[in-house]
Amino acid sequence: MTKISPKNIAEAIYQATVGKSGNDLTLVLKRGAKMLKDKRLLPKSEDVLSFLQNILDEKSGTVRMKVVTAKEISSGDKKKLENEIKEKYKAEKVLSEFFEKRNLLGGMRIEIGDEVLDTTYKSKLSQLEKFLIQGK
Amino acid sequence: MLNHIVESLRKEIESFKAEALVEKVGQVLEVFDGIAKVSGLSDLKSSEMVTFPNGETGVALNLEEDAVGIIILGDFSKIKEGDEVKATGRILEIAVSDNILGRVVNAMGAPIDGKGTIKTNKKYPIEKVAPGVITRQSVEEPVATGIKAIDAIIPIGRGQRELIIGDRQTGKTAIAIDAILNQKGQKMVCVYVSIGQKDSKLRKLGARLEAGGAMDYTVIVSAGASEAAAMSYIAPYAGVSIAEYFMDQGKDVLIIYDDLSKHAVAYREISLLLRRPPGREAYPGDVFYLHSRLLERACRRNSKYGGGSITALPIIETQAGDISAYIPTNVISITDGQIFLETDLFYKGIRPAVNVGSSVSRVGSSAQIKAMKKVAGTLKLDLAQFRELEAFSQFGSDLDDSTKRQLERGKRAVEVLKQLQYAPVKTEHQVGTLYALTKGFLDDVPVEKIKEFEAGLIEYSERNAKVFYKEIIENKMWTDKGEEQFKKAITDFKMSFQK
Repeated sequence: MTKISPKNIAEAIYQATVGKSGNDLTLVLKRGAKMLKDKRLLPKSEDVLSFLQNILDEKSGTVRMKVVTAKEISSGDKKKLENEIKEKYKAEKVLSEFFEKRNLLGGMRIEIGDEVLDTTYKSKLSQLEKFLIQGK
Repeated sequence: MLNHIVESLRKEIESFKAEALVEKVGQVLEVFDGIAKVSGLSDLKSSEMVTFPNGETGVALNLEEDAVGIIILGDFSKIKEGDEVKATGRILEIAVSDNILGRVVNAMGAPIDGKGTIKTNKKYPIEKVAPGVITRQSVEEPVATGIKAIDAIIPIGRGQRELIIGDRQTGKTAIAIDAILNQKGQKMVCVYVSIGQKDSKLRKLGARLEAGGAMDYTVIVSAGASEAAAMSYIAPYAGVSIAEYFMDQGKDVLIIYDDLSKHAVAYREISLLLRRPPGREAYPGDVFYLHSRLLERACRRNSKYGGGSITALPIIETQAGDISAYIPTNVISITDGQIFLETDLFYKGIRPAVNVGSSVSRVGSSAQIKAMKKVAGTLKLDLAQFRELEAFSQFGSDLDDSTKRQLERGKRAVEVLKQLQYAPVKTEHQVGTLYALTKGFLDDVPVEKIKEFEAGLIEYSERNAKVFYKEIIENKMWTDKGEEQFKKAITDFKMSFQK
C-alpha cells in the first residue's frame, strides 16, 4: 500500500475545510488533529502545516519572498522589488521578509519557493574562483 | 615574470562574465553512505545533475513527492544537513574528445593518470537510448581476438555482445587484455571499463597495455574499489558514451566491462540505500534493465547512419561455477553468446580455460572468414566427442582404431588451442595451425611436442608458404596453389623437425 505523505494529508485537510467556517471548521480541524494522533503522524505535523501553507498560498495567489542583502535597502526599493515580483509571478499578494548579511559583500539574493536569484558579490566571486580553477 | 603572471590573470578575469540566473535550489535533509535526500528541487528530471556547495556533483535517481534521492559522485563527507543543492538542468554527461585515447579516466571522464587535463570539445549524455532497428546492420565482420580457441570455435563479430563468464582466477581479464592487444593495426578503438577493481590490478593492466603499445588506441575508464558505489554504477555508461563518440565517427570500438557482477552489486547497494524494494538476491526489480539497456547500446550501424560499431565483452564472475545465479542468467540471456571459463581446466593447464562445450557464439559464425570456417568447421564437435570418449576410455583399454584415432586427434586439438597469456596469434597463423591439425598432419607429432612444432611451423611456413598466407589476408581464403604450397611446407618442416 502506498504510504500517506504529509502532502496528501495537507491536501485532504484543505479539501475538507474549503467553504467551512465557525464551528464546522473547528470540528474538521479537530478531527484532522485526532487523525494525525491516531495514525501516529504527529511528528510530521510541521511538514503537514508547511504543505498546507503552500496550498493556501497557491489558492490565494500569494508569493512568499525572502530577500537577503549586505546592507539595508530603502523602503522605496523594497516596494519596487515587491511590485516586480508581483508582476513576474502574476501574484495577488507578495509577503516578503528582508534580512541583512554583511558577508554577502553586495548585491542581493532573492528566494521564492525553491527558486533563487543570486546577484550577490559573494556568489560572483565564487563563480570567478571556479572559472579560474576550471578554465570554464 | 611576475608581471607576466599578473597580466595573464588580468586577461583571464576580464574574459569572465558573471551570470545572474534564476536557479532551482533545494536543501539537504539527510546524507548517508553516498546518498543525499534533498527537499525542494520541484522540477528536477531523472538523472539530472545537481551540485553541492563543496563542488561535488550528484545525480537524481529517486524523484519522490516531497524529496529527491540523490547519489553523490565523489566525497560526501563534507556535505551536511541544510546545505544548498543546485539543479543544473543538464542530464548526467561526460566530456569526450579524440584526446581521451591513451588516457585513464574516472567515471566522470576526469583524468586520473597524472598526465594533465584532457582538452575536450563535446559532451555526451551518459544515458542514451540504444540505436533503433532501422539504423542497425547484421554482424558480418570479425573481431580478431588472437586467441585460437575463441577465433576458431566461438568467433566474435563487430557489433556483437559476447559474455566472458567464469569463477575468480580463471583468466577472464586475460582474455579481454589479449583481445585489446591484438587490435593493434586493426582500426579498432578499445575502451576498458574497470568496475570495482583493485587499483593495483588496474595499474598492472595499464602497464601491460602500455608495454604492448595498445594504449595508443585504448581508453581506460576506472571506478576503483575504494570509490563510492555511485561511481561504479555510472562507469559502464560513461564507457559506452565514450565508445559512442568514436562510433559516431564511423569507427569500430571494442568495449570491455570488467566486471558487471560488481556493477550489479554497486547498483544493489545504491538501490537499497534509496529504499527501493529488494527482489531476488536483494537486487532491485530493474536489475535486468540495468544491464540490458547498457548492452543494447552495442551495435553495428549501417553505412546510411554513419557506420561504425560497438562490440561489447562484458565479464561476469561466478561463484563456484554457478552460472544459474541471478545476474549470470540475466546477462547470458541479454548477450549474443558466452565464453565459459572453468577452474578445473585452468588447473589442468588448459589455458585459456575455455569450456568449449558450454561456450557459444550466436551470431559470430557469420562474421568468421571463409578460411577459418573451413578449418574450424568440425573442431567444436571433435572436441566435444573427445571429451566424451576421454571419460569413456578411462574404464577400459580395449578401444577400436577409430576411437583411438579420435582420442589422439582430440589430445592434439586441446594442445593446439592452449595459448600463453599476452601472446595473441594472427588469424592467418591460426588458420595454418588448425589446417595442419584438421588435415591430420599433427597426428604423428608427439603431444608434448605440439607447441614446439606449432611455433616452428609458423616460422617455417612464413618463409616457405607466403602465397598461402597472402591469400588468406587478401581474399580470406586460400586457392589450390596456396594450399599445395602450404602442404609442402608442412611436410618439409615435419621432416626436419623429426630429425
